[in-house]
Amino acid sequence: MSTIELQNLTKSFGDLTAVNNVSLKVDENEVLCLLGPSGCGKTTTLRMVAGLEIATSGNILIDNKNVNELETRDRNLAMAFQFYALYPSLTVGENLANPLYAENLSEKEIKEKIFEIADILQLREIINRKPHQLAEGEKQRVAVGRAIIRDPQCFLFDEPLSRLDVQLREQMRGQIKEVLSDLNKATVIVTHDQLEALTMATKIAVMRDGLIEQISSPHDIFAKPENTFVAGFIGTPQMNIADCNISNINSSVLEISLLNQIIEIDFGKALDINKNENYFFGVRPRSFDLAETATNQSLSGEVDLIENMGSEVLLHVNSNDASFRTVQSRSHKIKVGDKIHLKPKKSQVHLFNSDGKVVAHG
Amino acid sequence: MKKRAIGEAGWGGTAIAAIVGFIYFFPVLFIILTAFRSRSDTLATPPKWIFTPTLENFYHIFYRSMANSTEYVATGFHMYFFNSIYISGMSVLLALIIGTLAAYGFSRHPLKGNDTYLFIILTTRMLPPIIVIVPIFLIFRVTGLAGTYTGIILIYTCFNLPFSIWMMKSFFDELNTEIEDASRMDGATERSVFFGICIPQVKAGLAATSVFALILTWNEFLFALLLTNKITRTMPPAMARTIGGEINVDYGLLAAMICLFLIPILLVTYLLQNQLLRGVTFGTIKK
Repeated sequence: MSTIELQNLTKSFGDLTAVNNVSLKVDENEVLCLLGPSGCGKTTTLRMVAGLEIATSGNILIDNKNVNELETRDRNLAMAFQFYALYPSLTVGENLANPLYAENLSEKEIKEKIFEIADILQLREIINRKPHQLAEGEKQRVAVGRAIIRDPQCFLFDEPLSRLDVQLREQMRGQIKEVLSDLNKATVIVTHDQLEALTMATKIAVMRDGLIEQISSPHDIFAKPENTFVAGFIGTPQMNIADCNISNINSSVLEISLLNQIIEIDFGKALDINKNENYFFGVRPRSFDLAETATNQSLSGEVDLIENMGSEVLLHVNSNDASFRTVQSRSHKIKVGDKIHLKPKKSQVHLFNSDGKVVAHG
Repeated sequence: MKKRAIGEAGWGGTAIAAIVGFIYFFPVLFIILTAFRSRSDTLATPPKWIFTPTLENFYHIFYRSMANSTEYVATGFHMYFFNSIYISGMSVLLALIIGTLAAYGFSRHPLKGNDTYLFIILTTRMLPPIIVIVPIFLIFRVTGLAGTYTGIILIYTCFNLPFSIWMMKSFFDELNTEIEDASRMDGATERSVFFGICIPQVKAGLAATSVFALILTWNEFLFALLLTNKITRTMPPAMARTIGGEINVDYGLLAAMICLFLIPILLVTYLLQNQLLRGVTFGTIKK
């Protein structure tokens, strides 16, 4: 069984706590993405799993065995590095072969393995080149190849696509996902690119300042963020999050005063909240429908600025000196200065309490 | 890195470079010419540029008549020559081995107060050697190291170490540690990471460090003068004795010695030049 489990893992560098009490579990066949801004401790977490960094406290279990005391080479893991880390003096073939030397395979077996991997990742033609003669995308494929050539317990990827250009990244994203789905191993991918996480992962752990903010499926991370950080971090353009006040509660329907307007939202169930307390109201820019006229279920405002996004436009809407953003189809032909009315889509709004914790999705 | 065709700088630039180069090289050229002049040609003013070359100066290095005698006797100079090679070679090798290991440690496994240690190591090179020569001389007298090969090799090793450590550390710092991590993932032990991954990547640094250390040691005069004896004497004090030991300074003889003195260092530098160039420009070129 190929599983990874972290129990209360903590890593401090002097006064700085890089990873703070992280617990998570990656099952066989699961791809976990550690997602977060730079410096949130995601790479450190990965390096601790690999044994390249020693944890200050906590346990790392691989295949349900505690590997805290094991050296990197005894943990039987494979890792692809952000800067590829290819051996500069070895050819592509030799780079691929390197992990196999520790396995006591015969020359012939090693050759076969290399060609097998080279075929999967289309490396045949460049097999005799040195790393400095390769393009970024090729280096990246060699790095992945070197990681998957052995039959390790689990796979670790550190920002595998961060150095590729957009087109190549899209292509490689698909390729890696395909390769991983054939391998049936627990995999951890570190990334700061949410699109990468949302497309490749079966489970996402969002990290901030060494803490895990939320672990859920990609869809839940997007649709049901547990706090304002996750809500703001995931999704582009960023979610609109504004201070609000509950002015009236009518079973499941809340009257929310927000941006000096009053809007009625039906959350579908009675909520445990108090009138006149401060809350945060969140709604994604794409979760607005244009309304013909102002109603008590819509927000009104004047278009301040229009950003072109291809078939859609990002509108900055000004309402009583506060602004929010929405994405609308270009076909509406909205111009700067237009007054528009926006109705939040049903079950795509979020209410957070003053600590940023979610109260309701509705 | 873009390679430029030879001669692309044009004639003007080449001429200026040639003139500057010639000015730099002139003293060396003058010494080499002097080495092949006869005694009377050497002292001619203005200097004679056209002369019949002779090897007598080179012969005199090894055999010459001492004061008050016409008989040619062996000077033992070949021994000093050997001493110089042996002592600098050994001390550079030792400094390189210890320095590389220390530098790797400082770079990869920093101690608490790493920078302080490095600074302390460097402070030993901040004093002029003349300040420490008296205590060292006394220590050597007491320990019986004075005049021995071990003594002078040890002192030169100490002399070269700070420099080797600092230089090698900067080379190790430049390396991409991901490659080391990758080889750990591939099943390498710490020892094979050091020997198989790190050392091959700092070859240029080893070359540069050893040449610089070699030049420093090779030319060192003060310690050699005071801490060696008749048997272990190196070239610099031996040459100095040639100036002071006789009534007239024999410039031809001295020039010939300098020519011989230059050969080993030229040879080493020539052999390592490719690595050396990479070494001294390391980190300045974006890869």
